[in-house]
Amino acid sequence: MRARLVVIAVLLTATSALAHHSNSAFDPEKVVVLKGTVTEWKWTNPHVWIFLSVDDGKGGKEAWEIEGRPPGVLARSGWSKNTFKPGDTITVDFSPARDGSRTGLTTRVTLADGTVLSQVSPGAL
Amino acid sequence: MAKPIALLAVALVCVMAGSTASVRAQETPARPDFSGVYFPFNANAAPAAPRGAGTPPRPVAVIDGRAGRPETAPKLAPEYLAKWEVMRQSRMAGSSETDPNANCISAGMPGMMSMTYGMEIQHTKDKITIYGELNDVYRRIYLDGRKPTQRTLDDPTFAGYSVGHWEGDTLVVDTVALREDSLLDLFSPHSDQLSVHERIRFTSPGVLEDQVTSRDPKALLEPFTQIRTYKKASPPNDELREFSCAEGLSLVK
Repeated sequence: MRARLVVIAVLLTATSALAHHSNSAFDPEKVVVLKGTVTEWKWTNPHVWIFLSVDDGKGGKEAWEIEGRPPGVLARSGWSKNTFKPGDTITVDFSPARDGSRTGLTTRVTLADGTVLSQVSPGAL
Repeated sequence: MAKPIALLAVALVCVMAGSTASVRAQETPARPDFSGVYFPFNANAAPAAPRGAGTPPRPVAVIDGRAGRPETAPKLAPEYLAKWEVMRQSRMAGSSETDPNANCISAGMPGMMSMTYGMEIQHTKDKITIYGELNDVYRRIYLDGRKPTQRTLDDPTFAGYSVGHWEGDTLVVDTVALREDSLLDLFSPHSDQLSVHERIRFTSPGVLEDQVTSRDPKALLEPFTQIRTYKKASPPNDELREFSCAEGLSLVK
């Protein structure tokens, strides 16, 4: 029974993080930088999602769900559906959620080989 | 002798017809073709810093009213300022209920002309269709002289009903029949009396300018004008992508 409740709680958390929302959910004054392992990469409308497993500094792992810009914007900036695969080590810069939940809005990603993926559309220059 | 005279007369007529056409061509400036894919572009912005590992990430733009109402915002009548204050409190509390983008709803005219994720213009002699990637929106501007009918006026939409005519190389567009429940600039409420007047032209090759003036005798204390500029895209960035926003909404149960 307890395990079932935990599963439900996790599902509710995931649903709330994935829901579409305005940018006011994030704090633009802050940038958090996290290095972790990709567990899932969702190339979805209207925003992409990076699921990241990050060392919590205590020998455990924390699961983060970090949102990105729309696929169209990212495709024009060099990203693709195949940019990440589970197991990749990446560093993500993002504006964190105001409510302290383990989510945020990506500002850039650095791959293991040092390649930097920005998310600036050609016209936004 | 009659034959050479006839030939001379024909030749004269041809020359005169040709010169008349030439005068007409000089009097009527060439109408530009706006067809193409464009992205918003700030012609006055400082050049972007080269991107690389050392470049600080660009901050996320957040407009929820916590900094108050900007000086540049539309000047609202008290009744509409009160509506804005209600929206501001909601947004500052973290709610997305008043944000059309967060709800996959068209920003409507004139806000949709921000065309944040780019727009594609299809331009024919009688009609211009503008497709915007953000929220898969589109609008049509009729150039064939038609006017909105009463049925159209009684059926307001997010994009409204637009008719245009040329003044030299500038397309002048008037839009009416706009939904009262859309937002003027994604944040300012307006009434059912909103109308939008645009002057669209190339300011230089590949740079399109849209001077957008909104008038609303009930909600606005004065006309609200914005100048939007867009740069024409080149391959491989001249293709927009589907947005299909509802895919995100489907995750909300």
